[in-house]
Amino acid sequence: MVMSDPSSSAAGEPASSESYGLEELLAAAGRWLGEEITSRTVRLYATQGLIDRPGKEGRHAVYGRRHLLQLLLIRSLARRGLSLSAIAPLVVLPDDELERQLAGDSDDPARKGSNEALDYLQGLKSKAKATARSAVIGAAAAAPPGGLAQAGLEAARSLLPLLGSPFSALPSPSTTQAADEPPDSPSRRSLARSGGTRLAASRWHRFSLAPGVELHLSDSASIPPAGPRRQAWAQRLLERLEQQLEVPE
Amino acid sequence: MQPTLRFRPLRPAVAADAASTLDLLITISPPPLPEEAIRRARPPLNLALVIDRSGSMGGRKLSYARKAARFLAGELTARDRLAIVAFDDEVTLVMPSTPVRDPQPFLAAIDTIHSGGSTALFDGWRAGATQVAEHLDPLALNRVLLLSDGQANQGLTDQQEIAASVAGLTARGISTSAFGLGNGFDEDLMGAMATAGDGSLAFIESPAQLADLYASELQGLASTAGKRVSIGLRAKQGAELVDVLNDLDATEFGNFRLPNLRTGQELNVGVRIQLPAWKPNQEILSVRLAWDAPGGEERQKLIQTLTLPVMAAADLAGLDSDPVVNEQLAMLRANRERRRAIEQLDRGDIEAADSSLQAASALMSAMPSSPFTSRELRLLQEKRDLLRQDRNLSRKRLSRESLRSKSIVWEQDEDK
Repeated sequence: MVMSDPSSSAAGEPASSESYGLEELLAAAGRWLGEEITSRTVRLYATQGLIDRPGKEGRHAVYGRRHLLQLLLIRSLARRGLSLSAIAPLVVLPDDELERQLAGDSDDPARKGSNEALDYLQGLKSKAKATARSAVIGAAAAAPPGGLAQAGLEAARSLLPLLGSPFSALPSPSTTQAADEPPDSPSRRSLARSGGTRLAASRWHRFSLAPGVELHLSDSASIPPAGPRRQAWAQRLLERLEQQLEVPE
Repeated sequence: MQPTLRFRPLRPAVAADAASTLDLLITISPPPLPEEAIRRARPPLNLALVIDRSGSMGGRKLSYARKAARFLAGELTARDRLAIVAFDDEVTLVMPSTPVRDPQPFLAAIDTIHSGGSTALFDGWRAGATQVAEHLDPLALNRVLLLSDGQANQGLTDQQEIAASVAGLTARGISTSAFGLGNGFDEDLMGAMATAGDGSLAFIESPAQLADLYASELQGLASTAGKRVSIGLRAKQGAELVDVLNDLDATEFGNFRLPNLRTGQELNVGVRIQLPAWKPNQEILSVRLAWDAPGGEERQKLIQTLTLPVMAAADLAGLDSDPVVNEQLAMLRANRERRRAIEQLDRGDIEAADSSLQAASALMSAMPSSPFTSRELRLLQEKRDLLRQDRNLSRKRLSRESLRSKSIVWEQDEDK
């Protein structure tokens, strides 16, 4: 998909001085949006006052950069489910603001991927669905492909990015998009879902360390950075573990 | 600039020769900032205003809500972002998150809000939160302002689940304030959301108060010195923490959640500690305050320990108690009586609720008279009178007053 910044003046993209006929406007908008825009759509928006009146050159309507920006913004917002009356107040904004709206609207995977709050909210959206799925996925995780040793290995790998930073500062594993996750992280998957009915505020992550042995980490657990502090931390955990194991029957 | 933490024991010693009880007020004072500096240095705000437009909001309430929203848009600047969401059984993004360079488009958008159907409160909150999240800025104050006059009756409605969702978002950098309007809103839900949301809480009876409320919210955001504040209390050497009078919510590590630190607003935590016969110079309590500074990356910490002189139990009993501490502890206990009264009201036992409020009054009347105690007594008397006349209103006000123990609760200036 072609995704270029409409404010840049790269080849084929609108510069502020540029003007187009209707066909060119449709083509430029279609390129940027990745969907076909028809002249009827443009006329509809124009009659509703969402797009400024085009200029005239002889008998032909002439459109400029602002028209394109308006069209792009209307389509992007409409695709997100906004009604035209909700969009109307926005298209009167000055050009630079239209651009900013468009920039904010474009799906930049890097930005969204690092936005934990957004992931979290999207997770809330289909929490009910996730709960319904948990039984199935839990069962799948119980017998990971590649055997138990493999499960341990995978767990070590998925823990890696968590080390050295507070857990809560990291993107949390999605609670909803189990099907989209890479198939090689069974341990991580199993547990994001295991808490489907639990309070979202105290989400726990489980990592299989060995057959029948799991580590549970809360969202809020902070793991010291690599070095002596982490060693001391791990040492303390080991001691606690040994104490627990020595508790008499 | 760090907040300060002060230990204010009711009596300034503990017993050396017998077990004793220590009543203690822990006062947290946010660092002082001159008003000028607050205005200049306030962090940018990234806000979503979520407005209930369900059928019950129709008419005067919604027209005030629009007016107050216009006021809010007018107060923000180009550094701030504002999104506006309206919800009934459907959620409408009235205005996507946009910098407030020019309030005009906001005003036009606000005028499109009309009242409709039922109350999908959670979905509305989530839509507002998503607007804030899409522009989440660690250097800004990111907050959802939720205004509702009703009960959540569409979509997710379970109070605990909603509060848990709100708390989860708080942990990810977006706070939530909850404003209940009129006499039909769910005060328990709004209280739970504001507390879990690390925001402020307001119960307002007249929509005319909305603009004042928003002004105060902006002022409060501007003077935020600490977010996601927690306090850890560890009694030492055989001392035992037997009570935290505020009934604060617990955090994961056995600490307690406190509201935001705001310049000029002290937080008071009342505790009771049981001590065996005490040796001199022995630490009694260690307090660990932790918070996020606005725009700061690292979690801030302040740890302080309490030691007190020891003396014979007989002499201890003869010591004067600190009147200010006494008053504050009495208010925290009276707020607890209010919570008890609410439970009794919910069981339909008005007599018992009245006795609880009477007990609360007795706690306050035992104090030497001061403007503070007179006001508290007046508030309590008002609720007792209301119990039989308007049980619903009485419950709402009791809830608001009791939540002063653990939240930032908006109170209109009483100069009318």
